[in-house]
Amino acid sequence: MSTAPLSLGIDIGGTFTDLVIHDPRDGRAVIWKESTTPDDPARGALLGTRRVLAKAGAKPEQVGRVVHATTLFTNALIERKGAKTGLLTTAGFRDVLEIGRERKYELYDLFIEMPKPLVARPWRREAKERLAQDGTVEIPLDVDAALAEVADLVKQGVESLAICFLHAYANPAHERAIGAAVAERFQNLSISLSSDIAPEIREYLRASTTVTNAYVRPLAEVYLERLEQALRSEGIPGGLFLMLSNGGLTHVSEAKRAPVQLLESGPAAGALAGAWFGRNAGLERVLAFDMGGTTAKLALVDDGEPLVAYGFEAAREKRFLRGSGLPIQIATVELIEIGAGGGSIARKSDLGTLNVGPESSGAQPGPACYGRGGTEATVTDADLTLGYLNADFFLGGAMKIDRAATDGAFKRLSGTLGVEAGRAAFGVHDVVNENMAGAARVAIAERGRIPAEYALLATGGAGPVHAWHVARKLGVSRVVCPPGAGAGSTIGMLMAPARVDRVASFNVALASADFAAVKRTFDGLEKESLDVLRLTGADIERRAVRHLADMRYIGQGSEITVALPEPLTEAGVKVAFEAAYKALFARTPPGAAIQFVALRLSASAPMPGSGGALELPRHPSAEALKGTRPVFFPDEGKTLPTQVWDRYALQPGVTVDGPAVFEEDESTFIVGPGAKARLLADGSILAEVG
Amino acid sequence: MATPKKNREFDPIELELLWRRLISMVDEAAAAMVRTSFSTLVRESYDFSCVITDAAGQSLVQASESIPSFIGTLPETVKHFLRFFPPDQLAPGDVLITNDIWLGTGHLPDITLAKPIFLDGRLVAFSATTAHAPDIGGKIRSPEPREVFEEGLQIPPMKMIAAGKTDETLVTIIRKNVRTPDQTMGDLWAQVVALDLMEDRLRSLMEGYGLADLTDLAREIQGRCEMAMRAAIRELPDGTYRSELKTDGLMETPITLRMELTIKGDEIMMDFAGTDRQVDRAINCALCYTNAMAMYGVKVCTSPNLPNNEGAWRPITLKAPEGCIVNPQFPAPGGSRMLIGHYVPMLVFGCLGQIVPERVMAACGSPMWGMNQSGVREGGKPYANMFFYNGGMGGNTRGDGVTCLSWPSNVSSTSIEISEHIAPLRFHHKKLRPDSGGAGRHRGGLGQEILIESRSDTPIAVSFLAERTLFPAFGIEGGKDGAPGELRINGAKTDPKKQYVVHKGDTISLGTPGGGGHGDPRQRDAAALAADVDSGYVTDRTAYG
Repeated sequence: MSTAPLSLGIDIGGTFTDLVIHDPRDGRAVIWKESTTPDDPARGALLGTRRVLAKAGAKPEQVGRVVHATTLFTNALIERKGAKTGLLTTAGFRDVLEIGRERKYELYDLFIEMPKPLVARPWRREAKERLAQDGTVEIPLDVDAALAEVADLVKQGVESLAICFLHAYANPAHERAIGAAVAERFQNLSISLSSDIAPEIREYLRASTTVTNAYVRPLAEVYLERLEQALRSEGIPGGLFLMLSNGGLTHVSEAKRAPVQLLESGPAAGALAGAWFGRNAGLERVLAFDMGGTTAKLALVDDGEPLVAYGFEAAREKRFLRGSGLPIQIATVELIEIGAGGGSIARKSDLGTLNVGPESSGAQPGPACYGRGGTEATVTDADLTLGYLNADFFLGGAMKIDRAATDGAFKRLSGTLGVEAGRAAFGVHDVVNENMAGAARVAIAERGRIPAEYALLATGGAGPVHAWHVARKLGVSRVVCPPGAGAGSTIGMLMAPARVDRVASFNVALASADFAAVKRTFDGLEKESLDVLRLTGADIERRAVRHLADMRYIGQGSEITVALPEPLTEAGVKVAFEAAYKALFARTPPGAAIQFVALRLSASAPMPGSGGALELPRHPSAEALKGTRPVFFPDEGKTLPTQVWDRYALQPGVTVDGPAVFEEDESTFIVGPGAKARLLADGSILAEVG
Repeated sequence: MATPKKNREFDPIELELLWRRLISMVDEAAAAMVRTSFSTLVRESYDFSCVITDAAGQSLVQASESIPSFIGTLPETVKHFLRFFPPDQLAPGDVLITNDIWLGTGHLPDITLAKPIFLDGRLVAFSATTAHAPDIGGKIRSPEPREVFEEGLQIPPMKMIAAGKTDETLVTIIRKNVRTPDQTMGDLWAQVVALDLMEDRLRSLMEGYGLADLTDLAREIQGRCEMAMRAAIRELPDGTYRSELKTDGLMETPITLRMELTIKGDEIMMDFAGTDRQVDRAINCALCYTNAMAMYGVKVCTSPNLPNNEGAWRPITLKAPEGCIVNPQFPAPGGSRMLIGHYVPMLVFGCLGQIVPERVMAACGSPMWGMNQSGVREGGKPYANMFFYNGGMGGNTRGDGVTCLSWPSNVSSTSIEISEHIAPLRFHHKKLRPDSGGAGRHRGGLGQEILIESRSDTPIAVSFLAERTLFPAFGIEGGKDGAPGELRINGAKTDPKKQYVVHKGDTISLGTPGGGGHGDPRQRDAAALAADVDSGYVTDRTAYG
């Protein structure tokens, strides 16, 4: 620790690789953005590492740990560029993977296409074996016949094998037996067992998760190996840790075992950053709102932690349509993605109203104001017209703005819509805000909460520009804008604890539950989890272990996850379940019986070098007030002369009355009249309705 | 707060904002209902809907994921409520209820609730929901009942809550008449929560924007959709087009459905004259459901992306002779009305396909299939379960039909592992049926075969939702028919419209129908055919030449 005190965060996204160097002793942090190198992402990461080290004036040997998030595996899934994967199922059920849920994601499209299974039928093979629902053996496993099937797959070039037997969540014996036999005979074959990857009831969801893991696993093994080696040869002594979808870190071999846990690592880190800055600002409930070029992402943070769901969808056919992706039963920070970003295009809809997004101008040609040939008005063009963005200080002055192109685009749009010139720009801003507020309302209702309980935390290039007005729509009275808005997720990783989520199926009525058996199950899960935490190097003395259960009223179709009380008693569990149920649904039905479906254990422990303070470089000598410029505010219905501040020249504790503009290189934070804004110790700005 | 104004005009920006807000309200209410409901059908299959209508019961917006049937029926039910309770008999805090099959959705488990919304003492809107109840009493769902009285509790239009006061007599009667009193009532209260939520959000929107009522906004929203629908219809050539198809019906007596669809300018008229009479089994399809399915059929062919509201339906009218199977009269039972109703969009395609063949698909392996079991557990406790399975979709101009997909409904199938937990059954396989997709340039989607064995020491009564066992899903444009469905008990072909009792060791095999093919199979892409053969989707290549 003393010789290598620094932490390095690397977040590889589709376009940019974000890097940050953090010194936990004094909180100082330095940020760098490098272009991603898709052919070999490790190359861009290394290049960026050298540059961020140089910028920070640090040496490789000072880096004590490297934390990493990547979209690599998600992209492999979306582009269907994973391993040649086979599937072995219980005899009679190889088509479960293809038949799926039998539900449409789009009701009115006769030409609908469903996501193709990752394993085509010829590579889905069957084994003679059968377990009953309680895990007892009905038909013993025929190992030799199953091996012959696998041998044939290997002969055809299969590199990775998923094994998913019926009721394996209740008894993994058959999967393990064939897994061991296959591993012995085919040592180069990567193997994923459903009882290991997602031991939960519902065969299609379990198979989909296991197959996805098998599909990305060989890629993960090679890539992580390569990155680890490269960092070492760079002279970095620290270990490599991976960000999981659940918002925690893990070590390399756990990531190689179950890379399906990494699919949402980037967005999870973003939500985690939101949680961290929210906690720092003393806010318990935060709606993390990240708005970039093409999409906006929303995540709810309750009691300082991002909400985690135990399933999500990967590689959707239609990005914003629920049900169009591959179901993945893995603990994942809950994110809602909306087609609303700076590049979202404004157009007249078929019904003559103003539509904004989800279509985006992308990086090419980009918004009209980029002057790269874009002719349609976008959200960024609107923000520029309204004075929210500074034409002379676009991306910190790095980009020259074509104001005439923006004006032309709005003139055309106003003409098509038949509204007076000058009305369209705020219309675009307002409509895109309404789209995001609408999605937020639904997401919050799904949690049984109300928007007024939350503070909005704005990140991303466009988030701080829109947050104040979105908050007004939601009836939210506090908005936080953390520093380094453009590199939020890397900061989140640095602050992340190590975390393990494990699940065991437990299909028992509460009234007949054997709590000794429950305890034994939790003990087993805890041992497994602590082993992983220990190997991650986390401080397990300071661990937090939570015992949760998926429970429901008998007869219901889905479960809620409940934190279990200690000590475990029938009465205590009932109280906990009913309280959780009421919190979500306002009331409980009288007289209904309760059952367990699964037991979950979540263990986390702080990483050495994580947490603590954070301080981004300031310009303390600069003049904080940069001047004034005209900015449009809808409540007043007019443009007001508004003070513009250099946020990095502001001192902590300073308060500024709205309306005000706070500029930084990557973004601009706008607060309206009546706001009281205050600079917090970590560099965040907290704006409240006065 | 703005001052209310009358005769307001909305510019395209205001209109979009208000429209979005309305949609967000119904979606928010829908989200709350999904989370609170006991019914698996509500939670996993979105077998419910939320709507906001104007004061006349004309729909403005409907929850995005609502299934097509309720999109058509729910606003109509609100209009029926208004006939029973004119505005002067409504008060703030009222909640109206009915499950009448002619006023509602055609079968009793769907319960509709509506709440009048007042602003400054004036009726301005309704919030309304329909949801499939966990149970409504009566005979377990099957085609067997001869009259609606056998199908469960009938609730005529009445006030479940009058000015905030719950009708405890009604609640007591409901509880006594259903198998799952807590869950059925729990879901009704979940619906009330959704109604309240929509009321709350709508009132604050109207206050915030200074809307005295919804007349002006409704005129815009409905008017624009009406214009768009009329424009879409105007593109179609005028004329009268006819189609007919045969369904299994009662097996020994198949049923013929007929439609005459007339396009005149910007209007469509559909007439079911010539359709067979209603029957004394629960496959009759009440006009409200027929109407919803016909509208769905027209919409997917003309303007699939148009928002759902009253305006979109105005240019479309429908009639069916009283007493025919798509307009049955009291006391005809209708519990399994989808066994007729799910054919109705296909009748529409039969007509429109003559003029816009590129917009329709070949016949689907629908109506949906299902198996209902009821019995007594070892402890003497009665149980009942319904499992759903789907056939393949029809091929279309752009590609193959999707294999095993719910259409036109949207009900997911039950997990095998869950099924084995809740019923004393052992599943031997659930697999694709080779060669079940109709051959074509674009092949029909495959059906599936499920083999189930009883492991119960006590007898189990089973009944089915099963169609297209006699008349397969037809191909179009030269495509071949899909494989018909097949129901077998202990290996022997069986009449799916009857109820059976199975004992330990007995097996039931359900083979769902494949979709019809589209286009001449000899024109199928060679690589696609090779892949089909390789995957075993096709084992008999005869039709492909």
